Amino acid sequence: MQLNLHGFVLLPETLKLNAVDKFKAESNFPIMITAQNLVKRYGNITAVNDISFELHKGETFGLLGPNGAGKTTTINMMVGVLKPDSGAITLNGSADPTQPEVRRQLGNAPQSLALYEELTAEENLKFFGKMYDLAGKKLSERVQWALEFAGLIDRRKSRVSAYSGGMKRRLNLACALVHDPPVLLLDEPTVGVDPQSRNAIFDSIEKLIQEGRTIVYTTHYMEEAQRLCDRVAIMDHGKILALDTVDKLIESHGGLSVIEGVLSAPPKESANLPGVIKGTYFRQETNRPLEAVAKLAASGCEFVTLNIHKADLEMVFLNLTGRSLRD
Amino acid sequence: MNAIIHLALKDLLLLWRDKAAMFWVLIFPLIMALFFGSIFSGGGKTAAMSIAVIDDDQSKNSQTFSQELKNSDALKVVTLPLDTARNLVRKGDLTAYVLIKKGYGETNFFYSDSAAGIEIGIDPARKAEAGYLQGLITQASFKPMQETFTKPDQAKEMIDQQMSGLTDEVVAKNPKLGHLKNMFSNLDKFMGEVDAASLNANSPMQGPNIEMVEVSTIAERPKSSWEITFPQALLWALVGCASSFAVSMVVERTRGTFLRLRLAPISKMQILAGKGLACFIACVTVMAVLLTIGITIFGVRISNPLILAAAVLSSAICFVGIMMAASVLGKTEQAVGGGSMAILLIFSMTGGGMIPLLFMPSWMQKVSNISPAKWSILASEGAIWRGFSYSEMLLPLGVLVSIGIVGFTIGVTILSKADG
Repeated sequence: MQLNLHGFVLLPETLKLNAVDKFKAESNFPIMITAQNLVKRYGNITAVNDISFELHKGETFGLLGPNGAGKTTTINMMVGVLKPDSGAITLNGSADPTQPEVRRQLGNAPQSLALYEELTAEENLKFFGKMYDLAGKKLSERVQWALEFAGLIDRRKSRVSAYSGGMKRRLNLACALVHDPPVLLLDEPTVGVDPQSRNAIFDSIEKLIQEGRTIVYTTHYMEEAQRLCDRVAIMDHGKILALDTVDKLIESHGGLSVIEGVLSAPPKESANLPGVIKGTYFRQETNRPLEAVAKLAASGCEFVTLNIHKADLEMVFLNLTGRSLRD
Repeated sequence: MNAIIHLALKDLLLLWRDKAAMFWVLIFPLIMALFFGSIFSGGGKTAAMSIAVIDDDQSKNSQTFSQELKNSDALKVVTLPLDTARNLVRKGDLTAYVLIKKGYGETNFFYSDSAAGIEIGIDPARKAEAGYLQGLITQASFKPMQETFTKPDQAKEMIDQQMSGLTDEVVAKNPKLGHLKNMFSNLDKFMGEVDAASLNANSPMQGPNIEMVEVSTIAERPKSSWEITFPQALLWALVGCASSFAVSMVVERTRGTFLRLRLAPISKMQILAGKGLACFIACVTVMAVLLTIGITIFGVRISNPLILAAAVLSSAICFVGIMMAASVLGKTEQAVGGGSMAILLIFSMTGGGMIPLLFMPSWMQKVSNISPAKWSILASEGAIWRGFSYSEMLLPLGVLVSIGIVGFTIGVTILSKADG
């Protein structure tokens, strides 16, 4: 039998539970970042148009949207690199993210590979560590930790220019972590990397989530947001179209899952079965696809092929904007 | 302050590891100094004039004369047959030939109706060298007579020889020779009475008493072409440094490292100060290396080390400012690299970086006042061969520091206002 599952993201069970549990307890977590009515314009173009959200401590918050949606501009305003035309950001109680003490709590892995190519991984990490006033033993420990985190211990003395794209991405992330910040801003951290390196980066980020760091994660890959984020804000043209947990977004905007397949023989009593059955072909739209499959199997149906199209964030985006995330 | 130092050290390490940048910052200026220094001076010394000597006379006098030419530092003498020598002069392989004609040794120094004893063959286009050569030949031809008069015995012999030719019959034909005969008669008497030792010591025939005085430290002309080309090399090094660091500024912005630095708990001003400090250290270091090479290997003189240090520091300040202003010329590496090099090249060419101001027309020298390159070279030359006093250095140093401050302020202001 051929079985295809579309839209299912397979999460490590413990992690999935952690994320859910954590979110259930959301109201008990203190607020880490508040964005209120942020607006940023470049000439006639409004890059960010009146967006507001709150992040709780330990939460992984996704900004999902296509290129040009305003995700990076939002991040840059959050860290004080860009000044909003209107609105306000509060970061851990401070209204001014440019204050050194606030900056120390932030780690940023920009979308571009913000590394010095002619320095080694170790030299890059040491340099950025020194920028955060790390020195001596503490600096050495953190550099060692970051190298292990990035899986670059063996290549610590190699110049970055000799690294693969995936290694550079991991180092880019490690440089954001060398000063051990509680808040991490990851701007498209998997852009341009091969699937193997992408998985390695996911594993690394999952470790950071388990450590309880607050993470803002921008991406235009819905699988990443679905896998990693507790809550997701879907952005387009500078606006937040929807903001909620992944499940609630799918439930609210994703539509029903679709089960379709071919049976070995037409069912004897098709009238009692859900969905549409024409001969051996059947199709059903439901918000509980697995239960529907179980019901078909219990009625004696044997499947030749079975396809389950579960609603996902791609569908959410499609339903909200009328176009695909990758358009 | 620690952050600024770490930023500067990082930039210096990056510069050191960038082979292309190091070429433009250090090797290219050195090549410029060596190349132009060599072609202007032939290796730092005046080249000897190559001539051929053909001695058809083979007399004692002609051999003495020939030897005198060979002894001259200004001449490189070869002995060749006349036809060969003539051909080589025609081809330009030799500057001239000197033919000592038969009978040269018999030529009377004081009266003679014989044809010229020496023939000089030279390209008519080389008039200046012909004049110079004529002077050297005259000097060499009088040398034997000069030596004769420092030795009474030889002088008396020569006088007797001259007197024997001035018979009553000869004098009757040309009465003016009677005065010459009287002079020889008196000279013969003088030579018979004079003490040989005192003659050797104080003889007017020794020529004027010449005292050699070393004036190099107060000379207002360069001693060698290296003293012109090394200040130019310092300028090219500054141009290389300013351009490299201006590009590195935009690279930081385009690659995102500037953004990462801005998220660190340091101010934008500290980041820019770190870049400026790195550029300053690079400028000073490269200038010091070039000067060390110039002084130790090529004999470049330093009139005042303190003034030189002031010239180096103020030039570095000036070009840090230019670097900072150049770094905001565009938003891409190409725009900043191209723009900064174009501006710096114009500064260099109008300021004497290519053709020394010394050789420029006066109107161009006036135009060059607007170029920081002119003031940088002038400051270096002031400390090297112009022998500037402290007060004379105030103008170039003041101009350099002012340009540096203005450039730095422009660059920092624009960068501070820019987002990202």
